[in-house]
Amino acid sequence: MKLDNTLLRWPKAVVLSNHFILVLTVLFFLVMWGIYPHMAGRRNLANLLSNTWPLLALVLGQMFVLIVGGIDLSQTSIMAVTSVLGAMVMATSLEPTRFAHNPLWGVLISEQGGWLSGSPWAVPVAVLSFVVAGASIGLLNGLAVAKLRMPPFMVTLVTMSFFSGLAIYLTQSENVRPLPDSFIAIGKGTLGPISPPMLIVVVLALLAFVVLDRSILGRWFYAVGQNAETAKISGVPTKRVIVLAYAFSGLCAAVGAILYSARLEAGRPTLGRNLLLDVIGAAVIGGISLFGGKGKVLWAVYGVLFFVVLDNSLNKMPLDFYSIDIIKGAVILLAALLDALRTRLSLYHAPLAGAP
Amino acid sequence: MTRSALEFDRVSKSFFGVAALSDVTLSIPEGCLLGLIGENGAGKSTLMNALAGVITPDQGTMRLFGVPFHPTCPADATRAGIAFIHQELNLFSNLSVVDNLYIDGFPRLCRLPIIDKRKAYRQAAELLTAVDLCLSPATPIELLTPGERQLVEIAKALGRNARIIIFDEPTTSLTAAERSKLFQVIDNLRREGRTIIYISHSLDDVLRLADTIAVLRDGKLVSTGPGDQYSANRMVADMVGREIAQMYPARASAPGPESVLDVKSLTQPGMIKDISFTLHEGEVLGVFGLMGSGRSELARIVYGLDPFKSGSIRVRGTDAGAPSPIRSIRNGVAFVTENRRQEGLLMEAPVSENIDLSSLRRYARYGSARIIDRRAALKAARQMAESLQIKSGSIDRHRAKHLSGGNQQKVVIAKWLLTDPGILILDEPTRGIDVGAKYELYSIINDLASRGTAILYISSELEELTGMCDRILVMSNGEIQAQFRHSEFDQESVLQAAFRGRTTANQTEANGEN
Amino acid sequence: MNERRNKLVSILLNNMPMLLFVLLLIAFGAIAPESLQYQNIENAFKQASYIGIVAIGMTFVLLTGGIDLSVGSNMYVSAVIAGLAMQRYSVGAGPALLLCLVVGAVFGTINAIAVTKLRILPFVATLAMMVSGRGVGLMFSKSRAVAFPDPVTGLGSAELFSLLPYPIVIFALVVGGAALLLHRTQLGRQIYALGYDKEVARKAGINADRVQAAAYILCGLFAALGGFVSVVQLGNVNAGFGKGDEFDAIAAAVLGGVSLFGGVGRVFPGVVLGAVFIQAISIGLVSAQVDLYLHPLITAAVIFSAVLADSLRNTYLKKLSRRNIRLEV
Repeated sequence: MKLDNTLLRWPKAVVLSNHFILVLTVLFFLVMWGIYPHMAGRRNLANLLSNTWPLLALVLGQMFVLIVGGIDLSQTSIMAVTSVLGAMVMATSLEPTRFAHNPLWGVLISEQGGWLSGSPWAVPVAVLSFVVAGASIGLLNGLAVAKLRMPPFMVTLVTMSFFSGLAIYLTQSENVRPLPDSFIAIGKGTLGPISPPMLIVVVLALLAFVVLDRSILGRWFYAVGQNAETAKISGVPTKRVIVLAYAFSGLCAAVGAILYSARLEAGRPTLGRNLLLDVIGAAVIGGISLFGGKGKVLWAVYGVLFFVVLDNSLNKMPLDFYSIDIIKGAVILLAALLDALRTRLSLYHAPLAGAP
Repeated sequence: MTRSALEFDRVSKSFFGVAALSDVTLSIPEGCLLGLIGENGAGKSTLMNALAGVITPDQGTMRLFGVPFHPTCPADATRAGIAFIHQELNLFSNLSVVDNLYIDGFPRLCRLPIIDKRKAYRQAAELLTAVDLCLSPATPIELLTPGERQLVEIAKALGRNARIIIFDEPTTSLTAAERSKLFQVIDNLRREGRTIIYISHSLDDVLRLADTIAVLRDGKLVSTGPGDQYSANRMVADMVGREIAQMYPARASAPGPESVLDVKSLTQPGMIKDISFTLHEGEVLGVFGLMGSGRSELARIVYGLDPFKSGSIRVRGTDAGAPSPIRSIRNGVAFVTENRRQEGLLMEAPVSENIDLSSLRRYARYGSARIIDRRAALKAARQMAESLQIKSGSIDRHRAKHLSGGNQQKVVIAKWLLTDPGILILDEPTRGIDVGAKYELYSIINDLASRGTAILYISSELEELTGMCDRILVMSNGEIQAQFRHSEFDQESVLQAAFRGRTTANQTEANGEN
Repeated sequence: MNERRNKLVSILLNNMPMLLFVLLLIAFGAIAPESLQYQNIENAFKQASYIGIVAIGMTFVLLTGGIDLSVGSNMYVSAVIAGLAMQRYSVGAGPALLLCLVVGAVFGTINAIAVTKLRILPFVATLAMMVSGRGVGLMFSKSRAVAFPDPVTGLGSAELFSLLPYPIVIFALVVGGAALLLHRTQLGRQIYALGYDKEVARKAGINADRVQAAAYILCGLFAALGGFVSVVQLGNVNAGFGKGDEFDAIAAAVLGGVSLFGGVGRVFPGVVLGAVFIQAISIGLVSAQVDLYLHPLITAAVIFSAVLADSLRNTYLKKLSRRNIRLEV
């Protein structure tokens, strides 16, 4: 019995530790490296990282909403619509054959490109409009959830279909391009070893960490997610906190949209269409609870890393695109299963002092 | 000599090396009502869980009507004819009475998997008559009062032919009328020869009902005997293990002259009407009322959780306008709600985060960034936890859900004391808390009053109010019916006032049902 | 007086799906009176039949407090397999339908195992199945369209006793069967009980896992049936078949008054009206010749108002139930 305990202590400690997913990711990476030596090549590593940042931005935002006990299905449509709007501000020229039927032709866009085409203000205003549009849509979600007491799932489901429809309507299904070089540089350029996406998302993550872990607002987020009634009676401005969470999620989606649009060199009305699974999957794998009240920036980072490494290694394998989907789904199931097992294990090992 | 319905023979159980039950030997004759009492954590629930098959005893045996009984799951106990009527009722309020009665075994139409509706309704109607409940089996549970729901639970037990029925704190949410009806039904059950185990903190109820009383303390059976050999004092002494000279600690202080809370003609249609009172510095003002008298609603409106239509609330002479929790906290008003699990605590959060939740703004640094000075916050929480003698592991790691009821309530009070309140509203602060913890809470309240805190003490336990308060307001039907000063306290007249306006209300209710 | 008004308001709010439906009819009648002809209404029901069947399956799961995001992929896989069986092995329509249903039930069983045995959250489990399931379907179809043979697709326009189109007949049978199951069998009542509170259900002696599993399997079965009915009308299964239908099914159920929190909602008339409602919007938009790109926007706006009405109802009913403390004379 005692021997058993000591033998099991180490694996248990790892499984129950905060860093379990990181350990898992590293192990998985090492195995894959053994099979595909170019996994750890410089180009692949750069590719891995560049896939990490935009996804992390989305998951960070999603995490705030999950912590207050909600869910944001509309993040991907926020990406699409902000991408289109931002591109329409700064596009350098547009083909009349494709855009002449556009409802905004002659209003916001023309043959010369977007609204501020050629102006030195084009890129800053475009970036600003990304962020403002994203945060506003998030704000709308938040108001509907907090003030109108509508269920988050339905609210964001509806805004998802509305805004992805809007993005397609605004562009009549066309990609908005070309975009100015200075914008594209956000996705491609490097400042020494640091790329702009990395800089942006790391700053975002640090901000999220300080807010969640160190500020009053952060404690309020958790309190609302754990028990909204207690929070309200204890003087937490619950509605404002919920609205803020959704607004931040929208803002993060917009940041993701900036990074993806810059990389794709276009405003794309279908941007992020298949990303919802990745975002929710990464959050769940990281251990962020869909029931609210639980989640950490570090967990989000681990979840995203796991997902990106998985995606990357699946792309390395000689697989058809549909097999990738099958495996991805299966891995999410596995991860969720693992999480369920961990929860049970940790319950079993919960401190019992004081319990009857 | 009647035979034993249920015997426990040297039953023991420990969790992780801590004994929850040790060597409990107890025999309950058939047709007897056993009053089982003990403080929280004394082993009552462990004993009942063993009987229900939720846990398996480490040692010892149970015998049911002489036959060894080893349940491994709740279904085993049900099959053996044991029914549990829990404190939190286990009914589906989205379904009808008949659905609830037969949810795990409907009568079927000629062995088809189709429900025989007519038969189910007929049988249900019979069961409802048996518990003296006159309503259609098709009534949705959500339309029933807590008392009626309790009777439905009993009907359900009867429908399964339960020979042993266990009541766990059945009266906590019942009105006086519902309570006496429940007692009548319980008497009938006993007369029919059913064996009953009645668990309660309400010692009067136990004395009124029990044939035999058994007292548990620290997992051991400390005394048992016929009910008439027990008095409230002896029960308390057995439960606590020492004589408590008095239930209520003596007050050393008197209220000051200055009024801190002035409520004038507060009215909210359908809730409360024309409520006026003044609360003074250092005063403990009791509000007595039965279920549905508007006592809790009054507290929620004063604190700002619910709106009011007319009237005014003045805190220290300034009009509080339409208060909100945030504004109330700023004005130094604190509110310990009647429902600590749903409204008072973050069960999943550490104790310390529960304690500093309402006063986080005090520990903010860096101006508008409002970063928490975590060390200062934890230190304050720790001091508060120590001064209230909260028994918990390391408070920054131990979660609120792992504490006992009394300690949880202390955590809620600690949260509010950290905001430095001038006015403390307490709504049923001792509900579901054992005797020892109650005494500690009373001492805390007296201590606060002596330091000038004004306390609005809402309770449905008259004895508690007469023991603690300087003045008592009596509410009924949403109005203040009477006011008593300490010298005028008299159980009978207070109760009379509490029923005033209520009888007429009940009559209208009854008419409305027909 | 006051009481009477309260009663009226709560009757209105409780029959919100019906009310919305009537409002929609009035709107169509005012804008395009010709859209209210019998033929058009029959069309709305016919086109709504498949999403209605899927929504009824979804209702079982929603009633237990769960959710199934994988029904769209389920529709795809089961239809592809049935189609390929007919194409390659010249299986008849009956066996093909049976095969389709079996695949759907197996799909549902996998969800059921993931949710009940492995204790994975329904949202996550079915999201994963949505992705994996479509992958499996694409594996079979090689992402090419799979055509159903003519005799089968003929059924889509055929009518029973030349009175009612078959899709509507099947829809009606499903509605009747589901209503019977939910209200007149023990399983049905236990599904409602489970949705109210799982812990309480367990204490009441309900085999919670079995009931929950049954709901997911039924959902899978109905998703496959709905898919089959849809393909019979469309003629073939293209690679995007069923994509997004999970959201329409959820929306139809919620519009019909099924609570996302479980335990509340009825198949008839609620979910039926919800499904027809969603279909009627798109038919109305087509006949009013609205820009195709605007359809999703308008549909979303209408669904939003329906959900808003539903939450207002909940808030109002909660307020009403708290009002009975004092009897005003």
